[in-house]
Amino acid sequence: MRPQLVQRTLLSLVLGLLFLSTAATGKCSGKYHELLQQLQSQADLMQDTSTLLDPYIHFQGLDQAGLKEHCKESPGAFPSEDTLRGLSQRGFLRTLNATLGHVLHRLTALQQDLTIAQDQGRNIRGFRSNIHCMSQLLRGSSEVETAEPTQPGPEATLPPTPSSDTFQHKLQGCRFLRGYHRFMHSAGQVFKEWADSRSRSRSRRHRPPRALQRGARRMRPFRRDERLMPRGQLPQ
Amino acid sequence: MALFAVFQTSFLLALLSLRAYQSEVLVEPLPLTPESLNVSIDSAHQYLNLQWSVHSLAYYQELKMLFQIQISRMKTSNVIWVGNYSTVVKRDPVLHWSWKSELPLECATHFVRMRSRVDDAKIPEPRFWSNWSSWKEADAQKSLGRDPLFLFPKDKLVEEGSNVTICYMSRNQQDNISCYLEGQQIHGEQLDSNVSAFKLNKVSFIRKTGTNIFCKVDQKDVIKGIVLFVSKVLEEPKDFSCETQDFKTLTCTWDPGTDTSLPKRSSQSYTLFESFSGKKILCEHKNSCNWQVDSDSQEMYNFTLVAENALGNRSVSVLFSLTHRVHPKTPYNLFLKNVSGTKATVTWKVHPIGNYSTLLCQLDLLGEGNVIQQHNVSIKENGEYLLSELEPDTEYMARVRCADANHFWKWSGSISQKFITAEAAPSEALDVWRNVKSVSGRPTVTLFWKPLSKLHANGKILSYNVTVENLDRPSGLEVHSVPATANGTELTLDQDSYQIHVTALNSAGPSPASVIVVSGDPGNEEVEEERVNGTEDGFSVSWKPQSGKAIGYVVEWCDHPQDLPCDLQWKNLSSNTTSTVISSGAFRPGVRYNFRIYEISTERMAYLLEKKAGYLKELAPSDNPQVVVSNLTSHSFTLSWKDYSTDSQLGFIQGYYVYLRSKAEKECHPGFKKATLPDKSACCQHRIDNPEQKTFVMENLQPESVYEFLVTPYTSAGSGPLDAFTKVTTPDEYSHILIRIILPMIVCVLLIMITCYLKSQWMKEKCYPDIPDPYKSNVLSLIKSKENPHLTIMNVSDCVPDAIEVIHKPEGSKIQFLGASKSLTETEFTKPAYLYLLPAEKNYSGPGPCICFENLTYNEAAADSGSCGHFPVTPEALPGQPGPLTSPENLLKALEKNYMNSLGETAAGEASLNYVSQLASQMSGDKDSLPANPPEPVLCSEYKMQMAIPLGLASPPPAENSGLSSTTPLDQSEHYR
Repeated sequence: MRPQLVQRTLLSLVLGLLFLSTAATGKCSGKYHELLQQLQSQADLMQDTSTLLDPYIHFQGLDQAGLKEHCKESPGAFPSEDTLRGLSQRGFLRTLNATLGHVLHRLTALQQDLTIAQDQGRNIRGFRSNIHCMSQLLRGSSEVETAEPTQPGPEATLPPTPSSDTFQHKLQGCRFLRGYHRFMHSAGQVFKEWADSRSRSRSRRHRPPRALQRGARRMRPFRRDERLMPRGQLPQ
Repeated sequence: MALFAVFQTSFLLALLSLRAYQSEVLVEPLPLTPESLNVSIDSAHQYLNLQWSVHSLAYYQELKMLFQIQISRMKTSNVIWVGNYSTVVKRDPVLHWSWKSELPLECATHFVRMRSRVDDAKIPEPRFWSNWSSWKEADAQKSLGRDPLFLFPKDKLVEEGSNVTICYMSRNQQDNISCYLEGQQIHGEQLDSNVSAFKLNKVSFIRKTGTNIFCKVDQKDVIKGIVLFVSKVLEEPKDFSCETQDFKTLTCTWDPGTDTSLPKRSSQSYTLFESFSGKKILCEHKNSCNWQVDSDSQEMYNFTLVAENALGNRSVSVLFSLTHRVHPKTPYNLFLKNVSGTKATVTWKVHPIGNYSTLLCQLDLLGEGNVIQQHNVSIKENGEYLLSELEPDTEYMARVRCADANHFWKWSGSISQKFITAEAAPSEALDVWRNVKSVSGRPTVTLFWKPLSKLHANGKILSYNVTVENLDRPSGLEVHSVPATANGTELTLDQDSYQIHVTALNSAGPSPASVIVVSGDPGNEEVEEERVNGTEDGFSVSWKPQSGKAIGYVVEWCDHPQDLPCDLQWKNLSSNTTSTVISSGAFRPGVRYNFRIYEISTERMAYLLEKKAGYLKELAPSDNPQVVVSNLTSHSFTLSWKDYSTDSQLGFIQGYYVYLRSKAEKECHPGFKKATLPDKSACCQHRIDNPEQKTFVMENLQPESVYEFLVTPYTSAGSGPLDAFTKVTTPDEYSHILIRIILPMIVCVLLIMITCYLKSQWMKEKCYPDIPDPYKSNVLSLIKSKENPHLTIMNVSDCVPDAIEVIHKPEGSKIQFLGASKSLTETEFTKPAYLYLLPAEKNYSGPGPCICFENLTYNEAAADSGSCGHFPVTPEALPGQPGPLTSPENLLKALEKNYMNSLGETAAGEASLNYVSQLASQMSGDKDSLPANPPEPVLCSEYKMQMAIPLGLASPPPAENSGLSSTTPLDQSEHYR
């Protein structure tokens, strides 16, 4: 248990440092690549089951033969990777933001049982802050905003947590966390594709998109009523 | 008979009719059968709740009734529980009763019925049960839904150690269901075709999030489970007590024991209830509670502490009087003042606990952690106490605590303060002893003293003062100051008597003087040493008083006698003591300790009384003496070990064992006895009882035999090691005789050889005379005498030879150069080798005068002949006419004669010389090249010896010349010297 604790502490420390540039300063980075890399790193760390799921399973006594296999993601609880890939960048970010909002809500309930959920809640807030920055960056770019519905988050698909059946509550919490980690893995893959796409684009054009550069220069506070104007090609 | 039968039947019928009538009369006024029985299920607590009513209590306000209840499971005939419920029924009542089911009620349908009976004294007996009510069904399964599997009870909270029954219910009888408790499969009892129950006995606490129990339908992805929350057992509060510090607040404390809290479930709570006042408070803490004392009117308190959680409660009570529960606060402001060497005043303060309360304070004086003094002081608010009998320069600690003087309950906390008393002059004289020795003829006194103990030093010793006073010749006092770090000093005195005062000084003053008198005369040292036995306690030393005027005795010894310095120790004893036990932690077994007992005279002078020596414990010798063997004869030898010191051994040497063994002799000699060595070998042993006897003669030995011996000392603890035997071989019987003959012979031979060596020059002159130097010959002197400075021997220019003829071995195929004549064997030489110088004139045709040189060194044939002489070459004895020359003198004479003749002839140019000699040639080492390259005349060749021989004499025999001679023409310009 002690090595796990140390591992988790270190992980929280790393995540905290990653969020330092945004959450602590309150200012968004204007560099697309830097922000993307940060989001990717955060997603990679948050997909790690040792941060949340494994402690939860141990704490609830679910680490027993016959029970573990029932701790699998409930279908439809979180958007699939294919669904995420099919979204536009801004749609993806919106979905990610909304889903993590639901996760935060659920983690609040889990905090009573698992103190480590509190640390993860902070991490998710920091991640959402970076999503906000990325959205702001993209908004400054020329991507055409389309009316794209946000994919349903876990709140819409998961049944309400029963209060009387603790056993089912344990299992559902386990499944939920399993889905959360899988979802973050998928999000990380999407971010990776973004990065790969940008590299290919750079190799073709040898310079970053003008719109992005402009967007980076024009970093300004996020406004909900601000609409994206078609100004150029965003890296896909 | 028939009549009797009819009569009997009639009687029985009449009796039955009467009985039926009576029953109707009694029941009819009290129709108390339970009515309106209703059964409901409380799933959370697994209760069956019964509700019913009783009618027709028209004649009574209330009536005590007894209800008998039957509960069946699955079917009415399966009665699982029967019990009675007694209660007082009032007019038109609705009655309630609950039954707790061990089996979860959801798993099985239950049926309930009851009947009643009046159980009141107002109703005379006999009393009869009413009829049973109809069965009422309690079925929770109907509301469960259509899930294929159910497991009950859900989220049950139980106390650790309790028994729990769980059950599952399957909708499909075909399903194969397996259940697990924390991963371990459990097996239960099948209650129905689709219901099974599991009884868990004495469940234990596993984790706060509960024990997981789940069942799975095989081959299907169906899992149902429950969590059993097992709480720790709620313990009764321990050590519950209440006390006050100020009569305003009562503080009750207890040990709560194990925490029974679980997630989402509160821990146990504590409630304090006081029965006299009827007040009750909920405690904020788990282990303490504060109760406000309202007024002085309540003296007694009866508190009940109730610990309660969801599963039950535990309580504990205490009854006390408030004045008996006074726990004063810790005193404060503790100070020490007026601290002297032996006294100090302590002051402190306490918090008042009431107008009339008195506190009993305990003042402890601690030194080195131990309580030295303890004083009780009764005070109201301020305390003060004078501590006395303190030791100077000592650190103490004053500690104060207080309690209620009237009713002791508890001591308050303690307050303490350290202090150090002032210094005082040392209270005791030093324990001084001396050692007198003579250095360079002058008595030197070494004074020793033992440092004063902390108790007597009364402070830090700064220095020691040594005052020397001459008793024989009154003079001024000599004062020496010795540093505090020293524990002795050395004084060089003369033969007079001196009185020495030694004092120790600290900042407060000197100690009393320690006086000792020493004299240059060491006194009688010739006291016989006695032995003393050591025991575990030490050495018990006793002595006999001599003068009867002793003022005391001193026993002196060294703790480490083998070291230098030996750590001198002494012990002072009173005059009426004649024995003591000397003990020391330094005493070791196997070490010899010497004790000297001195008598201290009235003049404070010490006289040696006795000497003792002893071992704390004697040990066997660790080493054997180095034995020297001497006087070895064929029948005896002597062993001696005179260097062996008996004083420095591991015990008193009582004697020696001499071991002897020999392969030749099986029997022991007289004086020896058989002994067996540790290696089981046999030998002979002789015991020497006198430790001073350090020689032993081994006798009666066999000649030419090998003996092994060993000498080992022995003490009371045993003998030395029996390991290293020494071998001695006795000589044969006649060897000494031979030595007496051979030795003189050898001496004689040596003398002869020495004589021969010393006379070797003479012998050489006689047997091997040196080749004479021509320049030192008499011939030269003769020439000189004729005053012809130009004439010298071997002036070739004078001779003008033409050729050198070398005459050598007459036979042999190889030609040998003269210088290699050593290769010639003795038989090869038949005649001396001569070198003839022949005249080269063409007109030379016959023999004429010549000079012949003979090399005697290489004329081995001549040398080996054993004759010191040779055949002289004279005119009369030319080759072919040999004749001996009797001596070199004769030869010289002959030569001189011939020389003189030849001079005359040469001068006329008629004479010719024939040289016979050896060429000391540079080619002498190149022997093999000679045959191919005949020797060339070499300049500056030397001739060791030259002999002038008439030419006719030097002519070699013709036969020999043909074989060995070679003729080399010489140029006129070449000269030989």
